Amino acid sequence: MVTGQAVESRAAFRLGQRAILPFLPGAFTWGMISGVAMVKGGLAVPWAIMMSLLVYAGSAQLAALPLIVAGAPLWVIVATGLITNLRFVIYSAALRPYFVDLPWPKRAALGFFMTDFTFTRFMRSAQEGSLPARTDAWFAGVCSSNWITWQLSAITGIIGASYVPTEWGLEFTGTLALVALVGPSLTARPAIVGAAAAAVVALLAYPLPFKLGLFCGALAGIIAATLTDAFEQRLPPGSPEQA
Amino acid sequence: MSEPVAGLALGVVIAGLALSTFVTRTSFLLAGAKLRLGHRVEVALRYAPVCTLAAIIVPDILMHPPAHVLDLSLLNPRLIGALGAGLWLCWSRNIVGCLAFGMGAYTLARLYL
Repeated sequence: MVTGQAVESRAAFRLGQRAILPFLPGAFTWGMISGVAMVKGGLAVPWAIMMSLLVYAGSAQLAALPLIVAGAPLWVIVATGLITNLRFVIYSAALRPYFVDLPWPKRAALGFFMTDFTFTRFMRSAQEGSLPARTDAWFAGVCSSNWITWQLSAITGIIGASYVPTEWGLEFTGTLALVALVGPSLTARPAIVGAAAAAVVALLAYPLPFKLGLFCGALAGIIAATLTDAFEQRLPPGSPEQA
Repeated sequence: MSEPVAGLALGVVIAGLALSTFVTRTSFLLAGAKLRLGHRVEVALRYAPVCTLAAIIVPDILMHPPAHVLDLSLLNPRLIGALGAGLWLCWSRNIVGCLAFGMGAYTLARLYL
């Protein structure tokens, strides 16, 4: 016997699966590139598959990869992945009001499966006011389709990569994928100043051991971005822009 | 350059990265109601990924292997590829096109320069 509530939850789940459809080609490409880059960067196939299944964060995986290959200290690698993931803290703060009444295991599950794509899709519906009553089942549908697509494409990339000659330099697609991720966010002034400061300091500090130049760069960038934001806040609204 | 991370150490790295995904994504969903993001902290968190990725990408392009010295010349295939990808992004957000265009430019430069 199926209760009315279960019917409603299933319907919401299916709606969610359908709602994420337009994002799936992007998720597929992104997953495939991550998979190819993992193997071409030098990870063995089983490790690459395990990383894809457990970490499930393309940008953190691509950021960690050159450090793994270079034999950087473990804490440097994990810390780099962590900083790359920090944007999710903001996402989870934005999702909190919608899921605050759920039992914690459900909140934990919805949180872990949330990605850039699924979060963006969620906030679009939230802003349109078109979320169904069973928001949790809907978001579970969104996240499940995204997870399946991403994992399938990543594993396809991981296995397919071994058939591609190394001279093609396919590992460079990983760097380009990060360019595609960063590019569109370079519209706000703090992001531009922060990224520029991070790049310059990372180049200057490149000779430091343990890939610590990356950290110096990231830190300098965050400080520069925060200062730029504080400076912009001080300007009275409507005043002419000052660079 | 030291040996790549492998074996048990690689397992530890993967576990650590998985934990970092879980902790950041579930942070506020699992936290008590008292936890609030201050404006400063929110700004720092918002721009941290862009800055970290810039610190990764730019040296990766300009200090490419095997030499790992600054190469700002337009004979640098990675620079050409990244410029191609950047140009594409100026008029389209399509990631597939961006990667195809960037890889095309990179490959041409690699083969002919």
